[in-house]
Amino acid sequence: MDFRLPPESVELAEAVREYLAGTHGSDVLRRLDAGGNRDLRIWQGLVEMGLTGLLVPESHGGLGMRLLGGALIARECGRACLAEPLVDTALVAVPWLIARGETGDLAAIAAGEKLVALPHTINPWVADGEGAELASVDPLRNLVAAPEGAGDDPLLLDLGALTSAAQLVGLSEAMLDQAVAYAQVREQFGHAIGGFQAIKHKLADVAVALEFVRPVLWRAAQAMDDGLASAPLHVSHAKYAATDAAYLAAESAIQIHGAMGYTYEVDLHFWMKRTWALSGAWGDRNFHYRRIEDAALGGAHPLGPQHTFA
Amino acid sequence: MDLAYTPRQQAFRQEVREWLAAHVPAERLVTLERKEGFDQHVAWERELASGNWGMVTWPSEYGGRGLDLIEWLIFEEEYWAAGAPLRANQNGIFLLGPTIMEFGSDEQKARFLPPMARGEVIWAQAWSEPGAGSDMAAIKATARRDGDHYVINGQKTWSSRASFADWGFGLFRTEEGSRRHKGLSFLLFDLEAPGITRRPIRQLHGDPGFAELFFDEVRVPAENRIAGEGEGWKVAMATAGFERGLMLRSPGRFQATAARLMALLRETAERASPGLREDVVRLWMNAQAYAYNTYQVAARIMAGGSIGAEASLNKIFWSELDRAMHRAAMHLLGPAAELRTLPDGRANEWLEGYIFSLSGPIYAGSNEIQRNITAERLLGLPRVGAG
Ligand SMILES: Cc1cc2nc3c(=O)[nH]c(=O)nc-3n(C[C@H](O)[C@H](O)[C@H](O)COP(=O)(O)OP(=O)(O)OC[C@H]3O[C@@H](n4cnc5c(N)ncnc54)[C@H](O)[C@@H]3O)c2cc1C
Repeated sequence: MDFRLPPESVELAEAVREYLAGTHGSDVLRRLDAGGNRDLRIWQGLVEMGLTGLLVPESHGGLGMRLLGGALIARECGRACLAEPLVDTALVAVPWLIARGETGDLAAIAAGEKLVALPHTINPWVADGEGAELASVDPLRNLVAAPEGAGDDPLLLDLGALTSAAQLVGLSEAMLDQAVAYAQVREQFGHAIGGFQAIKHKLADVAVALEFVRPVLWRAAQAMDDGLASAPLHVSHAKYAATDAAYLAAESAIQIHGAMGYTYEVDLHFWMKRTWALSGAWGDRNFHYRRIEDAALGGAHPLGPQHTFA
Repeated sequence: MDLAYTPRQQAFRQEVREWLAAHVPAERLVTLERKEGFDQHVAWERELASGNWGMVTWPSEYGGRGLDLIEWLIFEEEYWAAGAPLRANQNGIFLLGPTIMEFGSDEQKARFLPPMARGEVIWAQAWSEPGAGSDMAAIKATARRDGDHYVINGQKTWSSRASFADWGFGLFRTEEGSRRHKGLSFLLFDLEAPGITRRPIRQLHGDPGFAELFFDEVRVPAENRIAGEGEGWKVAMATAGFERGLMLRSPGRFQATAARLMALLRETAERASPGLREDVVRLWMNAQAYAYNTYQVAARIMAGGSIGAEASLNKIFWSELDRAMHRAAMHLLGPAAELRTLPDGRANEWLEGYIFSLSGPIYAGSNEIQRNITAERLLGLPRVGAG
């Protein structure tokens, strides 16, 4: 029993965080939002860090990491509000293709040359498809209606839900950081507003919520890596809890920004809107709640302290 | 990351489970907030100690088993799942014990720890004063040096179990005229010492759970001081960290409550509204999340890490989880919630538990104070005025 994150995955995630902080700032989001083209150098950098091949086996030119490492990267994508089509291809499609023994495209995916976005019945709209048809609340999300007869493979759903939950955690962490930073500089009544307890306590509540979502997320990723029968329960727990924490983080952050938060001019709105989008994607809160209730009350999953990890 | 328990850990779990199955009292003990129940709980402490289970993480020389934190978590899971009684000695084993291990002299360790592990001396914590609750640095009780003794005067209050306990530990002003957190010392005293008057205070449940202590020229040997004179605040802060952190509130306890709550939901499913159902399932999830978080922190500590201001996050979470679980049970019970004894003759443990859970967000540093600490020390927000 050792519930610590693997150091190599943590190191890679830290490098990605640094890279995205340096190259993918809010100026990039604003430029894209204004109709500008993608800066392909950003994508190239992600490819060079090996992220497109993160979960691709080394024999096919990838890094051969496990989903736990993938969840750490998805969290960074959320933190940066990444506007590149990395997660659906590299962290959802790849492990699904591998599980089905369809390895033909893996090398091209790892090389960053091929993008795959898989539809699912529960997820009627695919993000980042070509020729966007539907407008998302998230201005940087290009939605395409999924083709008829899309599959309902449960593994695909769990992969989508897990990586959405991870992004939601990263998004929430970034919104908390933005709100803290604003509370330190905005002054009213002669003090930084962050000195007022009403503000402090709101931010503390977000910190508490996140502290108790993260381990649920790691637990879910590891359950999938270990192929546990209870993995869907853990994934649903992560998605449900991450959704609630993300809404709390978003609503607290906008409140703390005051009217400034209600404008298109502060960056916060990009993160908030991605939060709303991902909360509903790959199984909404209600869907995941029902899966948890069925597992927990239906007796399929043993309850009680003796079963924390068994 | 490896979430499988090792064969050794599994064997340990089995050993704990078997011992508890054979020893946990079949009859529910009377509440330890009453003398009769307190004595029963002390007897249970001694029973535990007879099996060498008094404090499993302590070194064997002090009466422990030298187990690591993961093994402790396993022990606690089994302990609460078996329905074993509350620990009368929790102030000693979880708060004072670790404090003495960190700051005490070898002589103090040898003198105080083994009797604590054996359940022979039950400890009370005496920090709060009528004018020093959240603002603990406002402590007024004094300890004047007189040769190789201190002479204590003043008053302490809300001291859990002090109505019946044997010894107390607390902070006293050893430097005349000192202010705030300076000039305080951490002293241990015999509650039977001449000059101490205890006045039990009835709590919400009606029983004399804690006491007020009055000190009138009480003589305490100087060798009962932990760490240096004037270093009391530093020591007390470490103790407070233990109180909020891992030890006092093991996840097994909340998981056991969550499991009972889920069982209650099954029994009352016909009456429960969908909203209440979801509340309960969510609380079960939170109890799981608390366990995962604790295992993660334990694994980090075992690898050489430490726990700092994050203990505040932990304290807020468990205390509000506990209250919410008991509140949900009150709603599930419906009209039966008001009964002190249920129609089937069992005590209404949910009601008792709900009353007790209301104190969690107040003691061990109120949750408002924990939110201040979180905002200032973890998030880096400015301090303005008090708090
Ligand atoms: C069941 C129980 C057991 C206890 N056991 C012990 C014990 O064994 N030993 C011991 O020494 N003490 C014990 N206590 C006392 C406990 O430590 C204090 O109750 C606690 O520190 C709060 O102090 P107070 O009650 O004086 O509340 P106050 O400090 O008067 O606070 C009242 C309210 O104001 C809020 N408040 C105070 N200051 C601030 C601030 N700066 N910002 C925002 N809000 C603030 C508090 O959060 C609280 O909601 C126990 C208390 C209870 C309920």
